[in-house]
Amino acid sequence: MSGLSRRDFLKASAALAASAALGKAARVLSSAHSQSVDRPNILILVFDAMSARHLSLYEYARETTPNLKKFAERSAVYHQHYAAGNFTTPGTASMLTGMYPWTHRAFNYRGMVDRALVRRNIFHLIGNEYTRFAFTQNLWADILLSQFEEDLDFHLPCDSFSQTVHSLVQPDDLGNDRHMAYYAFQDFLNPRVDDSRNFPGSLLIASADLARALATRDTASADYPRGLPTNYDYSYENASVLEGIGRLVQSKLLPSSPYLAYFHLWSPHDPYNARKDFIGIFQEALKLEPKSQHPLAGRSLSEQRLQEYRLEYDEFIADLDSEFGRLISSLESAGVLQNTYVIVTSDHGELFERGEFGHATALMYAPVTHIPLLISAPGQQTRVDVHSLTTNLDLLPTLLHILGKDIPEWVEGTVLPGFGGIEDLSRSIFPMMARDNAAFRPIEHATFSMINGTYELFFFKGYRDYADRFELYNLQEDPNELQDLFGKDITTASQMKDELLEAVSAANRNYQRMKS
Amino acid sequence: MRERLPEPQAILQVYAVIVVMLSGWTIAAFLWKMSAWLLILNLGELLAIFSYGMLVNLIESLIVLSFLLALCILLPSRILRDVFVLRGTILSIGVIAAMMVFVVLNMRFGLQTRSSVLIGPFVVILLTALLLGSASKIRWLATGIPWISERLTIFLYILVPLFVILSAYVIFRNIA
Repeated sequence: MSGLSRRDFLKASAALAASAALGKAARVLSSAHSQSVDRPNILILVFDAMSARHLSLYEYARETTPNLKKFAERSAVYHQHYAAGNFTTPGTASMLTGMYPWTHRAFNYRGMVDRALVRRNIFHLIGNEYTRFAFTQNLWADILLSQFEEDLDFHLPCDSFSQTVHSLVQPDDLGNDRHMAYYAFQDFLNPRVDDSRNFPGSLLIASADLARALATRDTASADYPRGLPTNYDYSYENASVLEGIGRLVQSKLLPSSPYLAYFHLWSPHDPYNARKDFIGIFQEALKLEPKSQHPLAGRSLSEQRLQEYRLEYDEFIADLDSEFGRLISSLESAGVLQNTYVIVTSDHGELFERGEFGHATALMYAPVTHIPLLISAPGQQTRVDVHSLTTNLDLLPTLLHILGKDIPEWVEGTVLPGFGGIEDLSRSIFPMMARDNAAFRPIEHATFSMINGTYELFFFKGYRDYADRFELYNLQEDPNELQDLFGKDITTASQMKDELLEAVSAANRNYQRMKS
Repeated sequence: MRERLPEPQAILQVYAVIVVMLSGWTIAAFLWKMSAWLLILNLGELLAIFSYGMLVNLIESLIVLSFLLALCILLPSRILRDVFVLRGTILSIGVIAAMMVFVVLNMRFGLQTRSSVLIGPFVVILLTALLLGSASKIRWLATGIPWISERLTIFLYILVPLFVILSAYVIFRNIA
């Protein structure tokens, strides 16, 4: 017993609890599986920037997601599910490739998967016996989908279901070269109305777009006092987008069964422009423990401003949840759910603390990586709660496993517990943020994170005017990550630090070897 | 119709001014963004982006030139056609400079206050109108402006072939 550390004890306790829950999960899900036919449809719904920490589904104090809770009654609900990155590019790329950002290399703003690895994606692995469909409102996610174009049967333009398109020229107009057209227009030639510091490459397009924006900039309306929801290139309504998806599934995808459909929505990403019905629905202020400003917080916002943002975010989630409820009802009425795996998740979370707001930040605390995952098997009528540690890399191997396909050895995720996977309590996962690091070089400027059991270790490396530093938190005892244990729990800190450094070193070494 | 258009050499000189200004802007923007792109894109991809930029430049320059030629056709010949090098150059510089000022002011102030971004282009257009009226009467302007536009035609020998090659590359990428 002398060799059993406190961390080992907690792991063992968690294992006992989890094995009981998973036994039930396996029974329920295998019963659900037996109701499905050989080749079920797969419907993936990704809500951008949806933090699990803000969902009442996961015990958040505000009732933000009554409809997700209702949907959870027929789903496997993953409680410790983490994104591999803290903004769209790494989070989405990891979900679609089953690899960590340090392997697929899509970890910069607007980054792309290593060109040598683009066939390592879920659409390719599912194979052409499935109709493979993709749509995203997020342009950075669309770059990735455009890289996988060869493996897609249908790839809908980003502005589908939108009300207003802000730019004259869109990359979607150049279908055969969509991802390079994206860089050429969205990132070079077109202006960004939301980011005036941007230096647009085309004077005529910029002048026309800006003149139009000047003429139509007062976008607030009676229904949307804060303006229409927008991804800064298109404006839209949640209702239109989700109704559009519902119609598309029933009219286009069902006749093409079996299908794998990937819908990646912009909401609840900022700006948090909820419909008027959801503004002011949360009257009571949350009782939150104050967190001191972090030196790496890019914005240094006051606690009051952060709480205002948090409130707007929660309202926007409630708006989205309402439309999600309508979508699920319509799919259920149409009988779609009887032969469809419905997966609801996010690419990353959102953060409102330590002076920081948003997600693409050096601060990788749990709200920005802890994301929801619900999987409803065909015909499933029972809720299953899974508390073991999972990551969004696991989605790809899980789907392959469900469909009886081989899982390639390069996949870094594992099959999810409850869907054929076994719970590995010694498992470590490695979310990271390396947006300013060259994709072609070893990663030397980043925030690395490692979660193992109930502990999370951070490694802030290579930041200017900030010495390399580790932080360690116990997520079970200190879910708000207030007590840094790095200098206190020496054994855990040392073990995790060694493992993280070895993983980083291996990732850098592997990449150099692969490129050579 | 042909009689209402200026001499080909005059068109070429004015076109050179348009092309140099538009391409100069685009190349400056490209270089400004390249440090960020070098983190994520390889040289082939950078070439593709630059090619799109040059194709757009070609289209933009033809649009601006067409606008001037349309004015030549519509207006009495003594107003623009007969002094196309002088007034065409001033008009090109004025229109493109107004757009540059508009975009630069947006980069500086954003679109929050209309007056901040609109006053600059308005001043440029006013100056252009003044120059259009007075340039032929001011000796150094009347000789200097055509001299500049004539000198700039040298860049057409570089930029036009570049437009053609890079536009072909973009077309190839989109049909391949």
